Amino acid sequence: MPRIPAFLAEGLASAAPQWERDPELAIQAKGLVKHFGDIHAVNGIDLRVRPGQVFGFLGQNGSGKTTTVRMLTTLLRPTAGEARVANFDIIRDDRQVRRAVGVALQEAGLDILQTGRELLRLQARLYSVPRSDIEERISVLLDVVDLSADADRKIGGYSGGMQRRLDLASALVHSPSIIFLDEPTTGLDPISRQNLWEYIQRLNREDGVTFFLTTQYLEEADQLCDDIAILDAGEIVQQGTPDELKATVSADVIYVHVDGEEETQQRAVSAMLQLPNVEDARWDFNEGVAIYTKAGHETLPLVVRSLDDAMLPFSNLRLARATLDDVFFKATGHRIDPGDQSAQSPAGGASGGAA
Amino acid sequence: MSAAAPPDRVMAPVAPDAGVFDVLLHARYLAGRAIRESLRQPGVEVTNIFIPLFFLAVSTGAIANFSGRGFGVENYLAFQLPVAVLQAVAGSSAASGIAIVLDMERGYFDKLLLTPASRWSLIIGRVWADAIRAVFFAGIMLIAALLAGSGMASGVLGVVVILIIAGLFGGAYSGIGIFIAMRTGNAQAAQAGFLLFFPLLFMAPAFAPLEVFDDWLKWIATVNPVTYIMEGMRGLVIDGYGWPVVENGQLMFGADGEPLTKPAPGLHWAFVSLAGFSAFTLTIAALALRARTRAD
Repeated sequence: MPRIPAFLAEGLASAAPQWERDPELAIQAKGLVKHFGDIHAVNGIDLRVRPGQVFGFLGQNGSGKTTTVRMLTTLLRPTAGEARVANFDIIRDDRQVRRAVGVALQEAGLDILQTGRELLRLQARLYSVPRSDIEERISVLLDVVDLSADADRKIGGYSGGMQRRLDLASALVHSPSIIFLDEPTTGLDPISRQNLWEYIQRLNREDGVTFFLTTQYLEEADQLCDDIAILDAGEIVQQGTPDELKATVSADVIYVHVDGEEETQQRAVSAMLQLPNVEDARWDFNEGVAIYTKAGHETLPLVVRSLDDAMLPFSNLRLARATLDDVFFKATGHRIDPGDQSAQSPAGGASGGAA
Repeated sequence: MSAAAPPDRVMAPVAPDAGVFDVLLHARYLAGRAIRESLRQPGVEVTNIFIPLFFLAVSTGAIANFSGRGFGVENYLAFQLPVAVLQAVAGSSAASGIAIVLDMERGYFDKLLLTPASRWSLIIGRVWADAIRAVFFAGIMLIAALLAGSGMASGVLGVVVILIIAGLFGGAYSGIGIFIAMRTGNAQAAQAGFLLFFPLLFMAPAFAPLEVFDDWLKWIATVNPVTYIMEGMRGLVIDGYGWPVVENGQLMFGADGEPLTKPAPGLHWAFVSLAGFSAFTLTIAALALRARTRAD
């Protein structure tokens, strides 16, 4: 056999598929990148979501959650990288992707002049739901999201929570096998949030629906998700089951507020790192110094003694179990703050929208 | 909802590519929604009736007594009727661009883009609805003018042809609104889609025949497609139209009992202009939609 010249072999290698396609996966992505001019919204994301999973994207505003969802649901073209959803390529087979997935974006996208029933009917028709099934399907969905009584009122008169529920129903009208929910419970009251969680769990358990949801609520990720990816500045910085993630930080955390400027705080952190059993120590403005340890009760007196020895005045000493919040903090260097809108990226989508 | 989980939920039912039938079917549903919305905000639509009727009344009131002596137009109401029709149609079609921008602002446009419906059906649905609305508004203008005594030289068939022209013009004009909406996503800009109509309408023989225009305006009017659309309709209202008849084995066109060997001048140019105008507006609308849905 003739030897293939090196330059040709290289060319052949790069022409071959860059990644192993796995038809068994519900969502698969490799090196997904999205830049809006100078703004690097998503910087190379790899994903493997199995069917039947509830996969959570945890991150702050501007971390690239929405941009990723918009790419995976074919609303945005990636700058680089590849992704398959329901075993269809998001660029080449975009229509098949759209048919396979249900999507509820961050802002409930509704038309205020239609009634709830009309909106669902139009949605069902555009998804080519068989004509004979449409009306029954709509009434089941209206029942599920508790809007039957308001179905024939114009959407303009719905409350925010009702609009959110209708939006969710509209994502389900064609019985999708994969559902994308972009911050589904942001702005919902606690009861609606709990109801939505239960419904997601039911769909997942009973119908085997795969969920890809983004959230900035740690509790939501912890309760709902089988697998969580922590997203920061467009990159996945940590991934695993909630338990796996929690295992990456120590079992206990000791929080202490040290009085003084940042320099003083850093001195405290250095002192803490010297202590036996302390695996990590960090400072942030809100929570003070966090000391990660396997044995909180034994470490607590050592912390007090060490701070005293270093002549560092302190207050508010407390011991807690590590939570996802600590995982997030350890992975990203900052704490998640769902109330913070300032980090919102200006990156636009097909018709605007935040990263 | 509680059906047993199928063994494999990964594979979606494989959708065949959208055929023309699917595109038209989805466009029909979307057009239905657009029409329904018009019916639900009659206040917006009243403006589209009031403004052209107002212009029709005041321009006729001001000029009719003088138009015969001034530039040989005896029936000025009939002369103005096509202007009112085009103005009403343009007003209603321009509103469509605003409706699209509102859909974008509310996120509903994304919801439509997330469905497997072809992007073309989004455009065709709007164009379709605008064509239907155009026929409706043109009908109101016709009824008002006929009641005021404009007359209709080409009879019932002429009314039908005017409504067809209005429908086609409405569909074509909505391309401008769609284009602006897709390019800017801005309601004010979409509103300006109607303003574009002023040069199109008034750089055409709207108030007086082309013969009395200054040279510069005559030149512009000659290349303005609206001139031909307007003149075609005007011919139907004022001059009548020779509908083809076969006499002695020969195809004849007779207007007002006078046999002609070809159609009354103008009407075919109206359709040629409509074809060109709509090809242009719908192409820019389609390109703008494509650019937007592939936003980078």
